[in-house]
Formats: sequence, C-alpha cells, structure tokens
Amino acid sequence: MNWKTIGTATTVAALLASGKTNAQEKIVIDGSTTVGPIAKAFAEYYMERNPGVAISVSESGSGNGAKSLINGACHIATMSRAMKENELAAAKEKGVTPMAHVVAMDGIALIVHPSNPVQGLTLEQVRNIYKGLVTNWKELGGPDRPIVVISRDTNSGTYETFEELVMKKEKMSEKTEYVGSNGAIRQRVLTTPAAIGYVGLAFMEGVKALTINGVEPSAETVVAGTYPVARPLFMYTNGKPEGHVAAFLGLKDTKDGHRLIEEIGFVPLRPKVAEMPKTP
Amino acid sequence: MRSFSSRHLLDHAFSGLSYLSIGFMVAALLVILGPIAIRGIGAYCFRGTIEFRLFVLERFHRGSAERIGEELQVARRAREPLYEAMRAFEADLENDPALRRKLGGDYRQFQTAVRELLGPLPWDPAPLLMRQQYGQTRWDRALIKQRKALYREEWDYSDPSRMGVQVWRPRRVHYQGTRLEPAFDQLEHRLAEMLRPRWTFYGRFLTDPSFDAHFFGGIWAEVLGTLCLTLGAMLFGVPVGLLSAIYLAEYATEGRLMHLLRIFINTLSGVPSIVFGLFGMAFFIHTLGVTDSKSVLAGSLTLALLILPTLIRASEEAIRAVPAAYREAAFSLGASRWHTVTTVILPAALPGILTGTVISLGRAAGETAPIIFTAAVSLGEPLAWRRLLTMPTPALPWNLYNLSTEHAAVDEIRHVQYGMALTLVALVLALNLAAILLRARVSRKLRG
Amino acid sequence: MRWEDATRWMGTMVLLGVASLSILAVLFIFYFIAKEAIPFFAVRGFREFFTSPEWYPSGHPPRFGTAAILYGSALVTLGAIVVAVPIGLSAAICLSDLLPFAVRQAAKPIVELLAAIPSVAYGFFALVVLAPLLQTRGGLLFRTVVWAIGAPVGAILALMLSQTISLRFPARWQRGAGLVLLAGLGLAAWALLRSLAGRAGQLTVESGTNALNASLILGIMALPTVVSVAEDALQAAGREIREGSYALGATRSETLLRVVLPASLSGLAAAVILGVMRAVGETMVVWMASGNAAQIPRPWYNVLSPVRTLTATIAGDMGEADHVTGSERYAVLFAMALTLLVFSLLCNLVGEWLVRRSHRRWSGG
Repeated sequence: MNWKTIGTATTVAALLASGKTNAQEKIVIDGSTTVGPIAKAFAEYYMERNPGVAISVSESGSGNGAKSLINGACHIATMSRAMKENELAAAKEKGVTPMAHVVAMDGIALIVHPSNPVQGLTLEQVRNIYKGLVTNWKELGGPDRPIVVISRDTNSGTYETFEELVMKKEKMSEKTEYVGSNGAIRQRVLTTPAAIGYVGLAFMEGVKALTINGVEPSAETVVAGTYPVARPLFMYTNGKPEGHVAAFLGLKDTKDGHRLIEEIGFVPLRPKVAEMPKTP
Repeated sequence: MRSFSSRHLLDHAFSGLSYLSIGFMVAALLVILGPIAIRGIGAYCFRGTIEFRLFVLERFHRGSAERIGEELQVARRAREPLYEAMRAFEADLENDPALRRKLGGDYRQFQTAVRELLGPLPWDPAPLLMRQQYGQTRWDRALIKQRKALYREEWDYSDPSRMGVQVWRPRRVHYQGTRLEPAFDQLEHRLAEMLRPRWTFYGRFLTDPSFDAHFFGGIWAEVLGTLCLTLGAMLFGVPVGLLSAIYLAEYATEGRLMHLLRIFINTLSGVPSIVFGLFGMAFFIHTLGVTDSKSVLAGSLTLALLILPTLIRASEEAIRAVPAAYREAAFSLGASRWHTVTTVILPAALPGILTGTVISLGRAAGETAPIIFTAAVSLGEPLAWRRLLTMPTPALPWNLYNLSTEHAAVDEIRHVQYGMALTLVALVLALNLAAILLRARVSRKLRG
Repeated sequence: MRWEDATRWMGTMVLLGVASLSILAVLFIFYFIAKEAIPFFAVRGFREFFTSPEWYPSGHPPRFGTAAILYGSALVTLGAIVVAVPIGLSAAICLSDLLPFAVRQAAKPIVELLAAIPSVAYGFFALVVLAPLLQTRGGLLFRTVVWAIGAPVGAILALMLSQTISLRFPARWQRGAGLVLLAGLGLAAWALLRSLAGRAGQLTVESGTNALNASLILGIMALPTVVSVAEDALQAAGREIREGSYALGATRSETLLRVVLPASLSGLAAAVILGVMRAVGETMVVWMASGNAAQIPRPWYNVLSPVRTLTATIAGDMGEADHVTGSERYAVLFAMALTLLVFSLLCNLVGEWLVRRSHRRWSGG
C-alpha cells in the first residue's frame, strides 16, 4: 500500500472538488517574525496591484521558513539569519537550490522599560546578563530589582544572530523567559519594568533602546557599521525566482519598496549600503 | 435557635462552602468574560473620527462622498491654523541652526505625533504604509496621541534606589516665543473639530477584510477561515461519527469487539490537542501529502479527528435513547434493520445528534493547537471559492494568539484583539446555547 | 435471498469499517508519533531526556534534558488541581445534593459555559489582563485572597471549635464558655490572618507570566471536568444510602462526609485524574502565560517564577525543528509528544476504569 498513491488519490479528489489553480497565482511565504512586517507590507502592496494573486504570510520562525522552502511548502522563506550549513546540505539532497536575496539591513537593539535608569551597556555586560552572572540591576548602576531576562525562542533567526554576535555561542541562563516573536518581547518589556530583551530595529516604539559600547541602535549606525549587532534580512527562494515571485522580490529594489521598509523601521538596501562590510 | 449544636453549624458551614464554590465559578465566568465582552464591543461600537469615515469611503466605497467631503473641508479648515504654525516654525528651523540644535529633536517628536494624530501633513510626500496614510480612526486612541503631542514623556531617575518615575511635561514650555506656540492651543482645544468624532456602529467589523496587518478594517478573513475549518470538520467528522454510532448502537453485539471499540474511542478523546496537531502535520501533510503545505483540508481533517469521539458518544446516546417500541414496531412491519435506522431511528434521534454536533462544532471552532501546524497563517486573503481547500487560512483562534503576542504594534490594535476574542467567544457560546436549548426541548419532548 | 444476505453483510462490514476508523486513528497517532520519537531515544537514550534539566536544543553541543520542562508541567498541573479540586468538589456536592432541581438546571449551564470558552480566550485573558494585574497589584491581590478565603474559613473553624470545646464544660457555664472561647479563637484567627496577609502583601511579582498565572487559569479550565465527573459519581452513589443515613438522624453534611463521599471515592478519584489530564494537555494558556523559562524554580514551590511546559515547548519549538536536517531537534519534540500521549492515555484509562467501577458498585441495587 503506497502512501503516495492514497495521498495522490485524495489530493486529486480534493483538487477536482476545489479546482486547481495556476501555481503562479499563489505565493506562500513563511519564516521570520522580524522580516514578517516587511513581507506583510509587500504582500498587501503587491496584492493591491495584482488582484489575481493570493499571498499568504506565516511567521513561525526563520528555521521553519528554511524547512518549508526545503520541503517545497513555500515559495519564499523569510529569514533573519543566513541558512546554516546543514540546511544548505539538506536542500542539496532534496534538489533545492536556495538563493539568498538581502531585503534590508537590521540591527538588534537591547531594550528595557523606559523607567529603567540604565542608559547603556557593553556587549560583555549584556552577555553576562543573559548568562545569568549578573542578576540584579543594582550591579549595573540601577535600582535594586532582579533582572527579568527575556529572549526569543530558539526557532528564531534573531535568537541565532544574538547567540552568535552577543553570546558568542555561550549558553543562556536557565532563568531566561522565552517568547515567540519580536512583538512579544516588546510587549513584555513594555509591561515589565525590570525586564530586558532584544528586538529588531522596527520594534523599538515605546521602549528604551540601550546604547551598546556607546553606540545607539539606529538606521544610521547600522549603515555606518558602527553598531556592533547588525545583520542582513533575507528572503530565500528555490533557484532563480520567476513570474510573480520575481516581481514580488523585485519590490525591495524599488523606491516604493525602500519607503515601505523605511516606514516599517528597517534599513533598505540602497546601492551604497550594499558595499557595507560584512559583520564579523 | 437555642442550642447552636456544632453538628448543625457544620452542616450550615458545609452548605455555605458549596454555595461559595458555585459563586466562585460564576465570578470566574464574569471576570473572564467581562473584559472581553466590554472591550470587545469597543471594536464594534466606538467614537469614530473623520479619518475613519474617510478610510471606509476610500477603501470600501461606503458612505456618502458628498457629506464626507464636506466634513473633510470643515476638518481641514479647523486644522489650518495648526499647520500654519508648523509651517512657519519649520521655515524658522531651516534658517536658524541654533534653533535647530535646541529644538530640532523635540520638534521631530511633535511632528510624528501630529502625523499619527491627523494623518500626513499637507506638505508631506504620500506615505505608502497604510497606517501612515490616515490619522487616528478612533477617538479614544486620538486622545492618547494628543497627549503624546502636547506632553513630553520624561523619566525622573533622580532616586537611585527606585526605577524612574514617569513625568509628563508640557511641550509648549520649550516653544515659548517661537512661531509654534499657537499650535499647542489649537491641538489642545480644537481637536474635536479637527477630527469630528461621532459614535459609530461598525457592524462590518465582522465582514470587512483587514488592511495593513489589522490596523484598519475588520476580521473577515479570520471569521471565514474559522467557518470553513469548522464546516470542513463537520463534513468529515459527522458521517464517520454517525455511522460509527449507528454501528455501536444497532449492529454490534456486546462482546470483545465492541469493548475494544469503546476503549479506543475513549483513548482518542484523551489525546492532547497539540498531539493532534503534530499528527495532522506528520500524517496528512508530510506522509499522505493531501496538500503540499498548510491548508484548510489538512486542518479540517485534523479537527474532524479531534471531535470524533464527542460526535460518536453523543450520537450513540441519542440513538440508544430512542424507545425500543419504535424499533419493534418497525421490525414487526417487516422493515430491514437499515431501513429502520434511516427512516425511524435517525429522525427520532435527530435532536440529540444535532445537539452533540453543535457542541462539537463549538469545540472545533475554538481549538488552536490542531491548526497551528496544519492550516493557520497570520496573513492571507480571505478564502476564495476556487481555492477553498488547498489554501492555508487565518483563523480566529490562531490570529487572536498571533495578534496578542507576535504583532509588531500590539498596543495599537488592542481593540482588534478584543474584538476577535469577543467574536470567537460569542460564536462558540452561541453554538453551545443552541445546543443547550435543543437539549432542553428534547428532554421535554421525551418526558412529556 | 442470497443477494440480500450478501448486501446486508457488506453493509454491516462497511459500518464496522467506518467505526474502526477510530481504532485506526489511535493506532496511527501512536505509530506516527512513536516513529519520529524512537530514533531520538535510540540515539540519545532515556537518561538525559528524563533526568537532565538542561534544555539547550540549539546549543553547541545541543542538550535535550527535559527534566525542568517535565517539572514545569507537573507544577502547573499541581496548581491547577489545588484550585480545581476543592472548588469543583464543593460545587459538585452543591449540584447533586444541595440545590433544588430547578436551580440545578439553571446552574449546569454555568459549568458548561466555562467548559465552552475556547482555550485561546483563556490564554488571552491570562496574558492581557491577569499578567499585568499580577505585576502591578500582585501584593494587593494576594492580600485580598488571603482574607477572602481565610475569613469565612476562620470564622467557621472558630465557631465549631468553640462549640465543641464548650460542650466539655458543665451545663451552666456552657454558653458563657462558648462565647469566651469564640472571642478568643476569633481573635487568634484574626491575628493569624493579618500576619499572613501582611506577608502575602509584600510579595512582589516581577514577571506576571509565571506558574501561578497558568495554574489559576488552568484550574478554572479544569473545573467543568472535575465538576461533571464528580457530580456523576455522587449521583451514582444512589438515593438509598442517603435515605438510610438520614433515617438514622444524620445531618446533611454528615451524610455527605461520612456516607456519600466515601461511597463515591473511586468516581471522585476519576474526577481528579481527568482534571489532571485536562490540565496537562492544555497548550495555549501555558504558551502565552507561563513564561517559558526551562528552569526548576528555587525553592521548588515558588509559583511566582516562570516555568516551561511540555505542550508549550512542542508548540513553540516546532519552527526550528527540521525533519531533514536538525533531526534530533525534530525528534525530541515527538519524544515529548510521546511522553505526553502516554501520560494522558494512562490518565484516561485509569479515569474511565474508576468511573466504571463506581457505577458498577452502586448500580447493583
């Protein structure tokens, strides 16, 4: 009994019932919650100008996006980190050639509640906080309150980038609370005075962003390369994109696309930005 | 009572405790549903501004273009003095670097706040993100933004042993003598004329699609998705459940097979919902490949599995409740078993079966875990007929989770979250109420 | 004739086939979950999974110790039971024995309404209303709860104790003694409550998404299960033993405490177990409101610290787990699902067995 036979039969029946549509008229996007707002804004923009196309956006994490692309479950995988070695290997095994398109630049800002008097930290201090070595704000010049450490869930590209650039691959404290998205971290920090968290540039509204090694997180410092925790945001496709997918991706190079990215809060890739040196 | 026997006291205490627990449940119900109901209604019924009516006119083409045009003129006239002051001040900023250094940053904050409040300034280039194309659509949020414009939020860190204290300082203090000064009076006292709020009943919140990640519009995609998933679950679950119940009640003989069946049906009802979700993903999508990624079909199948035990149990009870006399009468007339079942038993058991179905539908509509991996997405077009089964879809329970945790601007769309919560709870409670009423009718019929 | 027999037989077989879809479903669920989970155990063994509290699935090297997560599930479930069983039991007693029939019919919908509210709505409430409340007014809330529960309980205890002790006095001084004892005990209770409330009021909740939050809401969600199963059990005990007890002159509470409850013990145990099953299998509330920190709180009963549960880990981590590449990460989630499944099934089987036992015992007249 071949599973695939049953599956195909069911699919045929379902499709006959529902009417198969041209694959070109559907774009499935899956992946990062950081890139999510860009994907959603682009999707609405695109759908408005191309009424026959249905675009759906899922935000379950960069890892899930990669997995979906490799399994052929989505057309575009949004990721806030580059694909890893093992993901590239698995893609090769499945005959998928992931092609990276950098959509925007982003910085990871360390955010605290606005009532927190601490203005800035060094990268080392941030690492110690997340490792659990520093547990109270008074050790950093603040009031006597235990630090509530909040991190992204491990399915996140933001988490991976943070782990690589800030934690230097060391383990986080077991007391760390995990939430599922940039928006969730921002929400928690907004409502918890003693909390600290990290988010992409577009999610700093209402919270206080700390300076890291004296540098403030902003579009300018990310472009200038002075902010130490910066990263590109990707959209991956299987091979060279065609048709609607290509047009959708092309938005990132248009003026409107740049403005959308800026309005959301990230740094669009203008020609001079593309020459920025890669982050260490 | 002369003798306060402790036995009787204990008795009364006991009763009191029990009544208290019922009271606790009622209180819990009220405490949980209260905020959802009250603030959820705020999504449907609120004081809407001219920006809201403008949005509805431009995007949904509803409303009288004439009247709104007139109102817009009046509103613009009310805003003119504010804009003039801002224009003048911006010219000053251009020419005076000292002023720029002193007030440039603060003015940018003020400018952003005015943009959020009233929409793009007349001399701004047209923004692309829809949330920046309109001012505040709700009066309650407009008041919050007004505060942001008029006051600067500062934090007093002077006490090193405590967290900072929030202090709102009026912005105008810094602008005394500049050409921006009259703007503050305008903003403070004439906001109602600039925005023209009016009590609005936005019933179409239920049926309008959303725009710009739920900043505007309604929740139709989610409602439709939930309806489709629920109907799909019913489509797959009811036939299987009904036939299984018929078998158990009419055809099977008491014995090991039936015992086995019952054990397995009970077991199925004990599976956690997230395991159903994992199974749905691993089986329907990865192995069978009914669709190559998330879809309504996979979600419906998973939900059907979830509600199957309840359907079987309720249907079986209803069928068994049909008096034996009906069966015997039919048999004595020479009807075959199947014929009896379809023409006599099922119609008699129908109310009970319907009750069970409706309750299961309520459960299927409200479940999130089974659809996380099989059907739900955060943003998508409302389902179209042609693609009904193969597309993934937003759904009320999943998007409520998504909007309240993952959205970029959670506090801005709080009313949408409450509206979704209210809609979902109302849908499920309506279904359950229908079932309760049905059941009351059935029991009255059987008793009478 | 033969053709009719054949069609009838085929028809019955078709029905049987459809009915056995349930069996197939359970078997498939077990098979598919185990299929993905076994490779994990084959490679990494059981010890690390069950005994190590270090959960670092993306670490270098990755660690898959779920002890802290199992503990989180257990703590939250325990809290839910602490909330649901006393209240649920009292409510069940109220429904089965105390309320007149008409009021009972009106009260049952309340229980059903509580059961019908979708879990994501509960989770939304826990995250948006309860968590900030705990953070900003946690101390006040705790003080209020101490008084709200302590005052009636303390008053009742004081009354009862004073009555019981005063009975030992000679008849003339009984009333006087009773009053004095009442005043004394009442004062003592009040002083105790004040100090308890004072200590409770000083607790600060740094993070509103914690085990307490999740336990409270899970308790409320498990209430309907506990109430309906317990009520069933109490009803199953039958009118005869109740009437017998009343005939002997017992008060209602004595009948309940000494006759009915012991008689329905197995059914009540089933209620607790099914309540446990409900709480353990819940996903959305714990995902949104328990904090998701894979740690064992210090001290072990500190419900004010965030914890992580099995269900929330499965739901949250599924994103990164790729069943092609990071196979261990994918498999460990199925391993957790298998653990969850086995536990829930055990609870279900034991619960159903107990229910059947309680019915069988008393249905024999």
